[in-house]
Amino acid sequence: MSTILETRNLSKFFGGLIAVNSVDLSVPEQAIASIIGPNGAGKTTLFNCTSGFYTPEKGEVLFQDTPIQGQSTDTIATLGIARTYQNIRLFSNMTAIENIIVGQHPRLRTSWFDAVIISKRFRNEESSVIEEGRRLLKYVGLEGLGDHLARNLPYGAQRRLEIARALANQPKLLLLDEPTAGMNPNETEEMTKFIKRLRDDLGITILLIEHDMHVVMDISDQITVLDYGTKIAEGAPKEIQSNPKVIEAYLGPGAAVLSEKYRRKK
Amino acid sequence: MSTPIKNGLRSGAISSIIVIFITIINFLQVISGMLGKLLGSDTTGMIPIINLIIILFIIGFFSGLSSAKEREPDTWRAALLSGLYTGLFAGVILFVFSLVIGAVAAKGIDLRSYLSFFAPQTIQQYMFNLEVIDLELAALVPGVVLTGAVYHLALQVAATVIGSIFVRGFVRGEWRKNLMISLSQSTMVTTGGSGLKQFLNNRYTKYGFFIILFVLLIVLPRVWGSYWNYIMGTVGIYVLLGLGLNIIVGLSGQLVLGYVAFFAIGAYSFALLTAPVPHNLLWNFWPAVGAAIFLAAVAGLLLGLPILNLRGDYLAIVTLGFGEIIRNLIRSDLLTPLTLGPRGVREIAQPTLFGNPFSSDIDFMYLIIVAVLILIYITYRIQNSRTGRAWLSIKDDETVARASGVNVYKYKLLALSLGAAFAGLGGAIFASRNLFTGPEDHILMVSINVLCLIIVGGMGSIPGVILGAFALKGIPEMLRDFEIYRMLAFGALLVVMMIVRPEGLWPTGRPKLEKYKGEDEPELQTLDNPSESEGA
Repeated sequence: MSTILETRNLSKFFGGLIAVNSVDLSVPEQAIASIIGPNGAGKTTLFNCTSGFYTPEKGEVLFQDTPIQGQSTDTIATLGIARTYQNIRLFSNMTAIENIIVGQHPRLRTSWFDAVIISKRFRNEESSVIEEGRRLLKYVGLEGLGDHLARNLPYGAQRRLEIARALANQPKLLLLDEPTAGMNPNETEEMTKFIKRLRDDLGITILLIEHDMHVVMDISDQITVLDYGTKIAEGAPKEIQSNPKVIEAYLGPGAAVLSEKYRRKK
Repeated sequence: MSTPIKNGLRSGAISSIIVIFITIINFLQVISGMLGKLLGSDTTGMIPIINLIIILFIIGFFSGLSSAKEREPDTWRAALLSGLYTGLFAGVILFVFSLVIGAVAAKGIDLRSYLSFFAPQTIQQYMFNLEVIDLELAALVPGVVLTGAVYHLALQVAATVIGSIFVRGFVRGEWRKNLMISLSQSTMVTTGGSGLKQFLNNRYTKYGFFIILFVLLIVLPRVWGSYWNYIMGTVGIYVLLGLGLNIIVGLSGQLVLGYVAFFAIGAYSFALLTAPVPHNLLWNFWPAVGAAIFLAAVAGLLLGLPILNLRGDYLAIVTLGFGEIIRNLIRSDLLTPLTLGPRGVREIAQPTLFGNPFSSDIDFMYLIIVAVLILIYITYRIQNSRTGRAWLSIKDDETVARASGVNVYKYKLLALSLGAAFAGLGGAIFASRNLFTGPEDHILMVSINVLCLIIVGGMGSIPGVILGAFALKGIPEMLRDFEIYRMLAFGALLVVMMIVRPEGLWPTGRPKLEKYKGEDEPELQTLDNPSESEGA
């Protein structure tokens, strides 16, 4: 399997703070990869470097073997990377379906002048755009809620709408920043299934940040663990679970020894 | 303290302060006089006290209304008590006020040295035209003052109690709720539904409405005379400006305070291209209008480049400066050979149509109406297209819009230059209509007024711009009768409006795109949730 996203020696500093420190990450195509780590480990910063919010100080980000670091966010979006946010960021004064239509923006071609003269291209594009919006609403299970303002939707629906907006651009890589944050176990379960379905139906590669270990262990093909901006482990869920470095990062020094003892007792 | 007493104190204090305030600025007399005019009675000399009673009653009625609504114990008793306490409290304050001004007047102190409008006549008017001051004795007649004070007390109590009965009986009743639902629905783009809503959404009703509007637009400029043509022309030019700024502020969310700069560039480029002095270019009207629009659009683009990365307050300050820079440049010594400086440009070209002059006030009115209709069409088409949605997304969250693949710079520049082009057209028509333009036509107040009319009308809404222009430019003209109180009345209107409708006179709804056209829509749950229309 070829690699869709790769970071080489990626570093990002905020003044004296090293947020991300020489991280090498590679995400195979059509995988579900997770990034985990304690708070402040640099997970979201890594996301922001990938999607163009930040320009990394050192290193490279390769998307389909082309370097994209330092390019503007909208160019990167046009290349086929879409993302969601830790705290939901919808266009709150637009309706749900309009949010999805904005998500389709980079694929569309009509200009304002087409709209004024109602050109044929405009009419075709407008109807196909709305049709696609309806289809995506149905796909994420928001049928019938499309004409409500995004800010009036319930929390879970907003999360799904955000994903629908990201999907509207037909991305090759989808970055999900804590997709199950603030959800109850049922909703989390649903979301987990949904993410799997995304990969299986659409063949999208998914890179996600998540704190819920059940979710992470359940869906990930590959897990990367960050601590203080440094990659401390990478591998399949099984390997990560028993990795002493990871346990120490989460539970403090010495914890790995304790857990080993605990396991032996059992 | 029980709720009715608390409400009573609050509403009573407000209403008595209002009455006292408008009394000491002599406003009570002026509106009583206006009312007299409306009722057709003689307004010379003393104003009949019935007018005063009506005004006081209205004030009392509304304070009773406000005290008795939205009460926790939703009972007749609580509502009536609220009204009663309001009336008593306001009445007592006015009672004391009556005694005080009576006593002061009796001492022979002329209050006009402190409050220039507070004449003895005002006092007498306030006391229901009772002969408070015995002219022969030059002294107060205590009994009469007391009578006046008691009248005030009684009037307040009666008015507030009636107000509270009204609010309890009707306003909180079922029919009002129904009316509100049908009203709120009529402002949304929906299909199906019941009664009034269905009527308003009927296709033929809409056509009928447009035909009536069209006929009015053709007929009115011919019949209402040059005074109204002038005023409505001004309103129309402000609609043009409002539509332009609406694209910049209302749609793309860039708070630009120097909008008048584009207006000035439009007006001046038109003026300089057509006037005999200083350049003697003598262009024809239409190409000059085109050039004005183009130059304004280019100015919008050029201003846009340095401010692309600014947001919010910073953007407002920078653009504020831009507006002032343009005005100062126009009047500066440096550019006087080019712009004639503070003197302004005269003898600006008038429009022609197929070689015939087209410059009477009626013609100008038509020209402005056509321009407004064209710009409304353009804005309407754009705002529900890819471009319009990109603007809205930038307004909501620029960072996320960019991450969704919207080229934020491009769309911001487009909004600025389109908005500036609209202002350029407005400026050209303005200069041509006045035959003159000078630096003082392009002061900061123009920007502020245009921004105000958008806010009053409702951000991002086309009907809002029109209503806002009428409210801000039309109403002050209609308030001419108030003379010195014009700005007071206008300010009060604005304050009331922002309290009653903080989202603007005609806020935008978003189009319904998910439902297929003609499909029935059984969703009323949005209306049960009042937070829907308010900001979250």
